[in-house]
Amino acid sequence: MNASNETMNCEEYREAIAADPRASSEATDGHVALCESCAAFTADMRALDQRVARALEIEVPAFNMPDLPVIDGDNVSALPVAKRSLLSRPTWLAMAASFALAAIVGIQIFGTIPGGEASLSEQILAHLDHEPGALRVTDVSVSNEQFDRVVNPSVSSMDRNIGLISYAQSCIINGKTVPHLVMQGEKGPITLLLMPDEKVSAATKIDGESVNGVILPVGSGSIAIIGRSDEALDEIEQRVIDSVEWRL
Amino acid sequence: MNSIRADAERRGRFDRVVTVFYPDMYRYAAWLCRDSSVAEEVVQEALLRAWKSLDALRDDEAAKPWLLTIVRRENARYFERKRLETVDIDNLTPAQSALLAETDDPKIDDMRQAIFRLEDDYREPLVLQVLMGHSTKEIAELMGLQQGAVLTRLHRARLKLKDEVEQEAAI
Repeated sequence: MNASNETMNCEEYREAIAADPRASSEATDGHVALCESCAAFTADMRALDQRVARALEIEVPAFNMPDLPVIDGDNVSALPVAKRSLLSRPTWLAMAASFALAAIVGIQIFGTIPGGEASLSEQILAHLDHEPGALRVTDVSVSNEQFDRVVNPSVSSMDRNIGLISYAQSCIINGKTVPHLVMQGEKGPITLLLMPDEKVSAATKIDGESVNGVILPVGSGSIAIIGRSDEALDEIEQRVIDSVEWRL
Repeated sequence: MNSIRADAERRGRFDRVVTVFYPDMYRYAAWLCRDSSVAEEVVQEALLRAWKSLDALRDDEAAKPWLLTIVRRENARYFERKRLETVDIDNLTPAQSALLAETDDPKIDDMRQAIFRLEDDYREPLVLQVLMGHSTKEIAELMGLQQGAVLTRLHRARLKLKDEVEQEAAI
């Protein structure tokens, strides 16, 4: 017997309960109080859920802590020197590449990576792990209001026509609040972190197991660009760099 | 001396956080990949990544979703690296069969097989909701979906399982 409920019919009720048998609202409670068949359906779904819960409780092997390395930022290597579009980039970028070359030479001579940037890369990768909602494939642009709120004109400006910007949030990286943007790339979402106060001495590669990226020195700050491993970032780097202007 | 103390404090914090949620990490990994050996490997990798990223966890109260997010990513990375084929339920490896180890309740065994057969898109939100106690909003954030899409998947997952249960009962 179906109840005549103005806010929810049997089909809607069953969809809601099958999605979450614990769901309870004025509409669901009002409907089920008047509908016997839906009450029976609810009882079936809750019994099913109990069985599902027991089935999912598989045996867990003994906990085995892996050997935890000392955290010393050994996750970063310098960016390879040869970049196809280097000559078309602004002078400061060519200078940055020179720094990268110097850094590589430094690594070869002294066997070390310049300090400081390793922890920045770590923090950026950790931040991506911490904000999975940002990595959504979508064709929906973030609103102009949200974009303008995040990319504070007093700190930086950005031409948002570089591509489809689907995400914009203010995030804390290395203790500083920075714009965290996501642009939809060819292979998936591309994270852009505009860091006007984060000066790096050389372009620094970010190398996760399924992502690749780079922290580029840009004027007195830097920009991190991270995409999927198979995303070609070279051309995007240029577009991003050309679109950003620090206003310090 | 300070760095030694800081390292010890960091390790102590990590130990506290992960030992509590290790069963959830393993079970989530196991139901994602449907292979006990792969799940152990994924969890080990996730623990290492969590250790390196621990400073990003500002509030230990948020440790569970943070760890599950890392497990999810490590599982995706594992399958990217290994390019494993999809699981053929009629031809399981021992590590895959281990997940379906029989209990003393045939109804639970049947349900486990039914869940095992569910498509990834349906199985994952169900695990997150029923086993992990996540809300649809939390599941949507973790999986990068709209809440409506999560509700649809959960609804379909349960109807599929209900059909299977009814078919079993009819045999």
